[in-house]
Amino acid sequence: MAVTKWVGFLALALAWLPVTHAHMLNMTEIQISADATSDVTVSVQIDLGQSALMTPESYWDAVSNPESAPKSGALYRALKALESGIEVVVDGQLRELALRDYRATATSLEAIKNPLTPQMADVQFALMGARPSSESVIAIGLKDTLDVPWPCLVRVDSFAALPISRLLTAGTRSSGDIRLDDSRAKPGEGYMVSAVLQLQAWLPSLTWLVVGIQHIIPMGFDHMVFILGLFFLSTKLSSLLLQVTAFTLAHSVTLGLTTLGYIAAPMHFVEPLIAASILYIAIDNLYSRHVAKWRLLVVTGFGLLHGLGFASALGELALPEGSVLSALLLFNLGVEIGQITVLLTAYLVFGWLQRWPLYRQRVAEPASMTIAGLGLYWLIKRLAY
Amino acid sequence: MLIKRGVAIVMVTMGIFAVEVAMSLVPKGDLLFPSSAAAPGEFPDQWIHGSKSAMDNTDPAVQVHRYNDHTYILRENKAINYEGAFMYVFFGNGVALLIDQGSTSSPALFPLREVVDELIANWEAEFDQSSTHLIVANSHLHGDHYAAWNQFVDRENTTMVGLTHEEVMHYWGFSNYPDERLEFDLGGRNFVITGTPGHQSSEIAFYDEWTDLLYTGDMFYRGRLYLEDWDAWAASIKRLRAMADDYPVSHLINNHIEMTRMPTVDYPIGTTWQPSEPPMQMSLEMLDEAVTATQVIDQAGIYKYADFLIYNEVPWAYTTDP
Repeated sequence: MAVTKWVGFLALALAWLPVTHAHMLNMTEIQISADATSDVTVSVQIDLGQSALMTPESYWDAVSNPESAPKSGALYRALKALESGIEVVVDGQLRELALRDYRATATSLEAIKNPLTPQMADVQFALMGARPSSESVIAIGLKDTLDVPWPCLVRVDSFAALPISRLLTAGTRSSGDIRLDDSRAKPGEGYMVSAVLQLQAWLPSLTWLVVGIQHIIPMGFDHMVFILGLFFLSTKLSSLLLQVTAFTLAHSVTLGLTTLGYIAAPMHFVEPLIAASILYIAIDNLYSRHVAKWRLLVVTGFGLLHGLGFASALGELALPEGSVLSALLLFNLGVEIGQITVLLTAYLVFGWLQRWPLYRQRVAEPASMTIAGLGLYWLIKRLAY
Repeated sequence: MLIKRGVAIVMVTMGIFAVEVAMSLVPKGDLLFPSSAAAPGEFPDQWIHGSKSAMDNTDPAVQVHRYNDHTYILRENKAINYEGAFMYVFFGNGVALLIDQGSTSSPALFPLREVVDELIANWEAEFDQSSTHLIVANSHLHGDHYAAWNQFVDRENTTMVGLTHEEVMHYWGFSNYPDERLEFDLGGRNFVITGTPGHQSSEIAFYDEWTDLLYTGDMFYRGRLYLEDWDAWAASIKRLRAMADDYPVSHLINNHIEMTRMPTVDYPIGTTWQPSEPPMQMSLEMLDEAVTATQVIDQAGIYKYADFLIYNEVPWAYTTDP
């Protein structure tokens, strides 16, 4: 069904479409220079002798007798048709073109007539009254009455590092809005991508904070489990805070020392130890009713260990030269934000149960056993690897 | 109590291992594109090649040929445009690369977007993929290879590389065009890209490490090689030869067929019916012939070789055979 419909359409279209019409050597090009706050120019490259604007003969006539080409001549009328037919809208306002200069050349009348030897004319217009800024939005269109050799490539040079290209065709005569500060947010790419790019451009170091958070949630699952291990022993906030602070200070030290190159530790050694620390903390939870004093020491030791783990993860990323220290601090801060988020979430979920007489039996101990099981799993895996 | 807890902990561990083993048995969605051996593929015996009368043409507007599961070659119907340009769709995990968009803008005559959308949907269904990102790229910046570019500008989940030299260089990451070689990761499928100006000053060639296909666009194909810059083209041909020295090449693939099956004889420009087309793919021997040509030719003119004709810096007007 669709095929017959299509064949019918094709036959109809080809009946009037000369086959040689559609080669693309002489397509039109419009270039807009909007990279300064004044003097916007619109340059057009067009095969006038092959366009509907003038005949090959009249184009050849104008080219071969440039002095005698009168202002009322065919070339002048064609240029005026371009002037009024190209519509440039800057920030919602239609701006007029004013012919500034043109260079019409051709090697021979025969060449003009041959569509395979495009004899292009260069025409320059000034865009009147337009003072675009990097915030501006520009749109280029061709009026329905203006017929040029299609398609028409539009190139906008703007404040952005790269030019912006659009293609106009007989069916799509407008470029649509083009932002002059185009940050490579291509059509179809989400707002999130451009928002993140802008954030990065605005404050590059801020990304290291995000990277730090990501190394707890979701990438640092083992660190998350360790923090939860601390949580399920301490029902008192003060003791939990004390442990987490000790852990934090300790891993900051090894993270810093490793990243700055003062110490180095083999990861095949550190990773199983991190797993063992999780197993240890969880089993300790099962047999201790209260936070023992020496547990603080143990947690500090584990903190030193986990810091080595963070350092290896950070080592896989290239730290910005010249601002290693600030990146390191922000990464560490991100890790802390991640840890605190884990603790707060645990409080929201389990905190209200802590006064329940069966809390230890029904919540803390099963949770600790699960954590121990996870620790054992990682330990076996990392030792085997 | 002690044993109970110990058993519980070990059970948790074993449970996690069991889940991991079960997960590893489920086939992963990831498609693999090893570069170790050339992934095989097939070319058609004959491409659609126009018809005596365009009116009677019953071929589709775009022929879609499946070279292999993840490589598709498209050809524009010669009845719509005599260029009969080839276009390519390469798939990787989560991403598709469309190189070139034919010679006709009108979606009614040449519904390339529709064809590509359908191709992607079918491929996703067959290989359990979803939300495939499309990259709309070009071998070079001539209008007969990007005429339908506009059909994709409003497409969701699509990157338009752009139609200016600067945009092309930026997208692929060239800092030393054309000499450098760049790696491009198309969802786990590795491509090596290099600059090949000469026919047009922004042209690039793609080597696919999975199929070992070397795509040479408009700078080397069975037809009239129109060269606007001889020195640049000669250097590009040598660059392609060096690429073929460093990587195994299964076939050279490209953009047009203009030769007949008779050596040195081409179809006249503008031909809309080519009943006796040679294959589109070319061999390294032909590339060697071009390398030899770069050592011999030292002035503008037309030079005939068995499988291609060199139109060295001659005006396009003289390209029609008498």
